[in-house]
Amino acid sequence: MTPELVALTLAALLQVIQFALMAIPANIELGPGKTMSARDRSRLGGSLEDQLSDGTARLYRAMNNHFEGLILFAIACIVVTLSGQADGFTALCAWAYLLARVVYIPAYYYGLKPWRSVVWFIGFLATTFMLLATLL
Amino acid sequence: MSSELSILALYGLLVVLTVLLNVLTALPQVGLMTLGGPRDDMPPLTGLAGRVARTLDNSVVAMALFAPAVLILSAKGAFTAGTLFAAQIFLIARIAFVPIYAFAIPVPFLRTLVWLAGFLATVYLYLMAL
Repeated sequence: MTPELVALTLAALLQVIQFALMAIPANIELGPGKTMSARDRSRLGGSLEDQLSDGTARLYRAMNNHFEGLILFAIACIVVTLSGQADGFTALCAWAYLLARVVYIPAYYYGLKPWRSVVWFIGFLATTFMLLATLL
Repeated sequence: MSSELSILALYGLLVVLTVLLNVLTALPQVGLMTLGGPRDDMPPLTGLAGRVARTLDNSVVAMALFAPAVLILSAKGAFTAGTLFAAQIFLIARIAFVPIYAFAIPVPFLRTLVWLAGFLATVYLYLMAL
């Protein structure tokens, strides 16, 4: 298995952890009566996300942001591997992505400005470089 | 590298560009401090920025569907002239989708038809993968 695929697997597991980080406090705050319902806005008086505390809502947005990042990163890792273009540079990019996405979570939770955006951009740039590497 | 995989990588780069457009159009509307902050009370984006944000959401969904289809075909060694054509249609449709949505080009059903072309191309790839 290439380092890119190892990093991708770990990034997917990170998303599982991000789900738990969001879902556990959300269930404690809102109660299973709300979270296990069909979440109709008419009954909840708005969307469920709007009823979360600021901290839990940040963890929710951090998780949603990682879905977008993870799909792009998956394409980058798999295409790099399948096309036989995995090298030291793409491996470095993959580890940089993973590290950035781990740091992104506390950076979002604690509202670190502008570090959340900086860390996000590092992960975004790493993915972009990997995609470009497959085409060059 | 097969052409379908190149198209997948190119589509990834299109989404990268759309993400950048999303940031650049949201910036003048909500300001750097809000966008770079934790976004606790960020107002909904409107106008061009709102349309780009919706374009991005739609493009991410399309990406999550298109990528597995191409990767399954690659793993099965099932690429054909037909799958290459479908992948090309997908890419062209998705490139066109961005300005059509972002600038709300006033041709009835144009955006929806272009979206449908990309969607049907993806469905074709899955049928070929079975």
